[in-house]
Amino acid sequence: MSEILEELVLRLNTHSTPEGTTFFAELKDELIHVVCSNNEEFPINIVKTDMQILTVSHLFSEDEVMDGKLDELNKIMLQLNPSIPLSSVGLKDGQYILFGAMAVDTLFENLAHELGVQAENVIELLDAVSPMLASNEIRGIKS
Amino acid sequence: MSILRDMFSAFKGGVSEAGEAVVDSQAIRIFEQNIREADAAIKEASRSLTILKGKEIQLKRKLDETSEDIGDWEAKAIAALDSGREDLATKAAERIAEITTEHDSLKDEHDALRKEVLELNTLIQQRKRTLEKTRNELERVKTTDQIQKATSKISSNFAATNSKTNRVQESLDRIRKKQQAHKDNMKAGEWMEEKNETDSLDKEFSEAGIGGDASPAADDILARLKKKSGKG
Repeated sequence: MSEILEELVLRLNTHSTPEGTTFFAELKDELIHVVCSNNEEFPINIVKTDMQILTVSHLFSEDEVMDGKLDELNKIMLQLNPSIPLSSVGLKDGQYILFGAMAVDTLFENLAHELGVQAENVIELLDAVSPMLASNEIRGIKS
Repeated sequence: MSILRDMFSAFKGGVSEAGEAVVDSQAIRIFEQNIREADAAIKEASRSLTILKGKEIQLKRKLDETSEDIGDWEAKAIAALDSGREDLATKAAERIAEITTEHDSLKDEHDALRKEVLELNTLIQQRKRTLEKTRNELERVKTTDQIQKATSKISSNFAATNSKTNRVQESLDRIRKKQQAHKDNMKAGEWMEEKNETDSLDKEFSEAGIGGDASPAADDILARLKKKSGKG
């Protein structure tokens, strides 16, 4: 398993997508941490099971959402989900995530492409919902 | 067991760390053990099925042989009767009776075996389907576990570096700045290219003596400045 992940790290670090996206990947505890050149702020974690490869981006935590806006945000996230190419949004232990799932034998080029697209998706989605996230000042007052 | 239903119940019940509660490494080990056992059982059953099927084929061949024997002896009996040898015909008839008894017993055995083979085959197919379902179930468990791993890793990373602030907005701002810088660089590159082209064209014209002297004479500048200060 880790041999496959190690090879993936090596290939990612030397790859450039047709769109010019490059990657900085590291393997830690059976998990690949990838920073994509088109979005260095929100890294992607890659995990692998018997059937699939999952690429997971952390978006924000529930407690980063403005007071009283959680239900509205959840609805908007569900509404936006089908419009996001190749990625889905999810909620895991209070953390909103954007993730992609691929068959375990997917071609490397497809995986790299998906990572590039996911990195873009994160920006687009956060851009859309950021008005519902608590700003510094508001959270300061709250606490 | 349906992992998704269990998780749903856990969420409804307000278990805060449902993923951890439902999916622990113990659960995965149990699942994997179940799958290994079911797999082994299916392989064992398949081996039995192969042996039974072999026996069934063997019996079928014997059955066909006895049918042929009966046909042969019947032909012989008829031939004996035709040639007036009833004594031989009687012996042939006795032989036919013996073979028929054997044939009937073989047929019963063959029928029973055939039924057993079909039943075992159905059972194996059912077990395979169940195993496939269990495998999918395990995949859900593992996926949940891995996502857990992936998200907790990410969140601990950002908690260490970004525990305060409107983190998302700041990150977006930085990304936009980077994107803008990238665009600016692209534009600068285009501008440089255009400028080089224009410069070389100007040079060509000036070398050809067209377009006049590019640098204004000091006298002209002085005259303009005098005019500006009202002394001109």
